[in-house]
Amino acid sequence: MPDGVAIRAQDLQKQFRAVSAVRGVSFEVRAGEIFSLLGPNGAGKSTTIAMLSCLLQPTQGDASVCGHSIRQSPQRVKACLGVVPQDIALYLDLSARENLEFWGKMYGLRGATLRQRVAEVLAIIGLTERQKDKVGTFSGGMQRRVNIGAALLHRPDVIIMDEPTVGIDPQSRRHILDNVKELNRQGMTVLYTTHYMEEAQELSHQIAIMDQGKIIVCGTHAELIRLVGERTRLDLTLHSEDDALVACWRSIAGVHSLSADHGRLTLLVDDSNLVLPRLFETAAQVGVRITSVTIEEPNLEAVFLHLTGKALRDAL
Amino acid sequence: MRILDIAAKDIQQILRDWKSALFLLIMPVLFTIFFGLVFGPVTSGDRQRDPRLPIGLINQDPGGQLSDSLEELIGQSAVIRPIRLGQEAAERAVDRIEQGDLVAVVRIPVGYSQAVSAGQPISLEVITNQQTPSGRTALIALDTVTGRLFGAVESAHISVEAYQSRIGFDGDAARQTAFQEAFQRAVLAWGSPPLTVQVEQATGTPAPGGRGVISNGFTQSSAGMIVQFSVFGLITSAMLLVLERKNRCLQRLLTTPISRAEVIGGHLLAMFLVVFVQEALLIFLGQFAFGVNYLREPLAILIMMLALAFWAACLGLLIGALARKEDQVIVLCLGAMFFFSALGGAWFPLDVAGKAFSSIGHVLPSAWAMDGFQNIILRGMGFGSVLLPAGLLLVYALAFFGLALWRFSFE
Repeated sequence: MPDGVAIRAQDLQKQFRAVSAVRGVSFEVRAGEIFSLLGPNGAGKSTTIAMLSCLLQPTQGDASVCGHSIRQSPQRVKACLGVVPQDIALYLDLSARENLEFWGKMYGLRGATLRQRVAEVLAIIGLTERQKDKVGTFSGGMQRRVNIGAALLHRPDVIIMDEPTVGIDPQSRRHILDNVKELNRQGMTVLYTTHYMEEAQELSHQIAIMDQGKIIVCGTHAELIRLVGERTRLDLTLHSEDDALVACWRSIAGVHSLSADHGRLTLLVDDSNLVLPRLFETAAQVGVRITSVTIEEPNLEAVFLHLTGKALRDAL
Repeated sequence: MRILDIAAKDIQQILRDWKSALFLLIMPVLFTIFFGLVFGPVTSGDRQRDPRLPIGLINQDPGGQLSDSLEELIGQSAVIRPIRLGQEAAERAVDRIEQGDLVAVVRIPVGYSQAVSAGQPISLEVITNQQTPSGRTALIALDTVTGRLFGAVESAHISVEAYQSRIGFDGDAARQTAFQEAFQRAVLAWGSPPLTVQVEQATGTPAPGGRGVISNGFTQSSAGMIVQFSVFGLITSAMLLVLERKNRCLQRLLTTPISRAEVIGGHLLAMFLVVFVQEALLIFLGQFAFGVNYLREPLAILIMMLALAFWAACLGLLIGALARKEDQVIVLCLGAMFFFSALGGAWFPLDVAGKAFSSIGHVLPSAWAMDGFQNIILRGMGFGSVLLPAGLLLVYALAFFGLALWRFSFE
């Protein structure tokens, strides 16, 4: 890939009559990265990846995938790209194996190569035992796994996954997230869209937050958190309230604020790993027992709230 | 290659759907039998043994040499079959023509033999409906027979006159005997005429194995149900297209290195192959179970099958392009089936429906499909007779294909 960039979007815009779905999106995904597009429904994530997948022609702007322009060389883009659509785009009356064989043929695989890749992908998605069963008889999570498998058959350099964990059980979700990490570990570049901040946080090397057709911020998780300057929040419950102890805690380095209310204390701290041992130590010295601790790390929810003035979940 | 992959996948899905067997084979066979029995009951008696056109014959000059010979010549005709009528039956002759029992009634008038021998003008009395092809055919056949009779009389006269001028007869009895001998020889000579025209019967042929089933009705219903169910059988394949669009597989295909033309081509090929195989099975059954003689012109039938399958596939693609939901596919397929079948002559011959209805029907491709098949199996025509119907079917197919491309959406 030229200059180590797998995907480069430059001022992508998409207009549907009077509606501007995407309004000048630019970003770069380096080869071997997991890059997440995070945002509420209607933010423009799916339209952006539809353009990158050559399903939609941009109204303006261009993008390159593996060095090929989506405008000038769509067939080359498609050949190096695997796309996992948001919907279960499979033939429900065909078996898992028949589905994978068909999609493999669409990517030009034939004969022994096709059979070998189908067997490998069935193993990756954990459905070797159920390969002969019709996809229509599978649970939602299993269907999602076949949906992903169909995009892996031709060993693409780049895989685009559009909200692949929507509406499935926690076990299947875990399986899919582990698959994504494993594929990335093997060198595959992943462009991942989601409105679950936990997924973006867990998976991504870089995260772009989209809202109303625009990327409002892009960076690593740490960079985004630093951007808003949020501190860790600690909620503690004490067995008995002690004014001297509260005063002592206020003076501990790294504690920025403390409020107390009938034995329940809320602290804003720089680094909970440094502060918490000191809290337990001083409480023990004065004989006060800490009965509960809740640590709330700064998260992308806070970033979204900070930048848009609305909660991410409220915007869904 | 990917076109074949898509077609193979479609066919795999179609064969896996139990409704396919119902729409593609079971229903067409049942309807062929039903309409076959309605149009042309399995017949017995004279018609079963003799497919010639039946004409009633009333001989009011019995015992006359020429009138008896005329009866013989009519009996030897390859086209008409005489049925002697008594006086009572003669009075109901017109009714029997109207009922279709007879195509004509011929009356040989009193003194016919004497008048013809003497060269005096006399003609047969013929009652028929000249508006029908059968009536016209019977008239032509009667002209041929009377022409032969007059020819034999004329040649007998010439022969007698020649003998008279060279040798002479011993009296009128000898002359009369010589005339009769010469006339008989002339009549016999028509048994091996110097020029013959082969007339093929435009009816069903007996089923092999001596089962003795002949039904003119199957020549209508077999071809008709092939045309009808080539449209109705599209339900499962058009449904696939709609489901593929609905479950986003159609859109996903476009994220692979396949072109839109290949996707459409693959689906079109699957529909074409399904209809073609359906036609082949129904023609096989028509030939060997219902005694319809498709194989008398196999190449012509093959061309009609290909043309009909291509038109039906393009129609299926159009239905798949227009429908957005499964129930819309059913409505469109049923609507197309009723429209093209009823107006196109698949349910009943357009010939019997009147000229105006027939003309309107021939605006539709289904009417031309019926014409193509029936030119072979009913009208006994040759290879050239299917070129126009097949050509017009292809024109219709291209028009439907253009409409389908215009309306086709991948989303």
